[in-house]
Amino acid sequence: MKKSWLRSWMVPMAKWWGRASGYRQLGLRLDDLIPEDNETVQLALKRLPPKEAYDRVFRLRRAIQCSITHHLLPKEEQTKEDEDLPYLTTIIEDIEREQKEKKDLDAMVPTKK
Amino acid sequence: MLSRSSLRQNARRALRQQCSAKPFSRRGLAAPASGSFQYQTSDVSGTKVASRDIPGPTTTLAMVAKAGTRYQWLPGLAEGLEKFAFKGTEKRTTVRMIREIELLGGEINAYHTRENIVIGAKFLRDDLPYFVELLGEIASETRFLEHVYHEEVEKSIKLSQQKHLASTAEMALNSVHGLAFHRGLGEPLSPSSSTPLTKYLDASTIQAYASAAYAKSNVAVVANGADSAELNKWVGEYFSELASTAPSSVPKIETTQSKYFGGEERIAHASGNTMVLGFSGSSSFTGGFYKPEIAVIGSLLGGQSNIKWSPGFALLSKATSELSYISVDTKSHIYSDAGLLAIKLEGHAVDVRKAAFKAVEALKSIADGKVSSEDVKKAVASAKFKELEFGQNLWAGIELTGSGLVQNGKAYQLDESAKAIEGVTPEAVRKVAKALLESKASVSSVGDLFVLPFADEIGLQM
Repeated sequence: MKKSWLRSWMVPMAKWWGRASGYRQLGLRLDDLIPEDNETVQLALKRLPPKEAYDRVFRLRRAIQCSITHHLLPKEEQTKEDEDLPYLTTIIEDIEREQKEKKDLDAMVPTKK
Repeated sequence: MLSRSSLRQNARRALRQQCSAKPFSRRGLAAPASGSFQYQTSDVSGTKVASRDIPGPTTTLAMVAKAGTRYQWLPGLAEGLEKFAFKGTEKRTTVRMIREIELLGGEINAYHTRENIVIGAKFLRDDLPYFVELLGEIASETRFLEHVYHEEVEKSIKLSQQKHLASTAEMALNSVHGLAFHRGLGEPLSPSSSTPLTKYLDASTIQAYASAAYAKSNVAVVANGADSAELNKWVGEYFSELASTAPSSVPKIETTQSKYFGGEERIAHASGNTMVLGFSGSSSFTGGFYKPEIAVIGSLLGGQSNIKWSPGFALLSKATSELSYISVDTKSHIYSDAGLLAIKLEGHAVDVRKAAFKAVEALKSIADGKVSSEDVKKAVASAKFKELEFGQNLWAGIELTGSGLVQNGKAYQLDESAKAIEGVTPEAVRKVAKALLESKASVSSVGDLFVLPFADEIGLQM
């Protein structure tokens, strides 16, 4: 983001939006909310390192428990802003790039010079 | 000649080009056959290069790394590394690589033996720079990603494992190597399924193995049908990224002198019967334990006739000619510093049993000097032919040359070993056969163990 004026009002607004969405109060990260009922995300989930996969399941179960009991997590257990990092998006992007390349190359037509 | 109208324009043009005045496509009868049968070797800033400019429109190029199963420090590393070839590098993905090769009309190949990993390609002569770059990239820039291992490599390792476990011949041959050499050369070519693949193999251990396997001091680039100067130029350009030696953080790839042990192993198997009788054999010509007599005994015992409709002169083919359900093959497995003479009997259990007795009888008759000197003469000629023919075989020749360069700094010299075979006398054959019978044998039986005999039953030293 080169334009600092744009940054100066977009970033605070994004932060406010993140806080207001409410998932952090349940201890989730933004990437936990990605719908997982498609092949790309399923494959990405398989590629997660074991620790990440375990933590993800833990967060989801804790959030479901909170939701059932109509509670929010205590302040210190809620997701902090600097913890809310993309861990799945990068893998999904990789897979999509692979798929796009495959599709492009499959459609390639060789021509003789 | 092909009728003109049946060919499309492009094909016609290609045909015309091939028939035009290119010097290699036509050779008069009086012209000498290709004089450059020997490889020209050189050292391009640390990488060893060998090339042989055989006339012809295609080139075969291979990178031979001294990193076969013998040198792996965890089970399955050699196989894993071989399967990681052509699997995506820093610069291009697997799909792109495959599509590019398809567009150039090439053919790629990767395999491993007990001593080497060979990664090679066959292509049209003009595409040499592309393929040299590709091999260099595989050696220095392959991305060892965990998910590539789990999604692609692991599956193919499991497949080759299944293939290995389904074939009694492969199991017996691996088991006999294990008996003869224990570790090192005795490691099975494909990890046996009891080996916990999940325990030892993953992308990071394979990457560590690659860093040692693909160091400049450990690889040779060999080409058949490429101009030496041109090959050196491209290797200099594209193999400069390779580390000159293996990093100190990983175990070293070293040759420790193989020792022959011997013993017996019996494995029950439902889908066939194979018995392998192994004896301490001959190393390669440069390996220090070269015994040309072993090759002669190998072809004297034989088993596979090279003449149609006749059992030939070989003792085992004659002895087993009335057994209908059996195939016999004697092969001298030659490695850089040791060897194994293996008689493989495969077929119905009862016939394998009978043939096993006959094989030992045949070997005894050689040791007692009961074989006519004419048969020995035939065996010498046949051994010499096999040696030269094997070396002329494209991939085998490339691997031999590459491993000779990496191990001893010089290409495998076929002429010399053929000459050594020529000088074998019947007396020397008798002596070596006697020594074989007196030393400890390695016997592996896979199949119906109720019928297959024990080694001491057939009269072998245990």
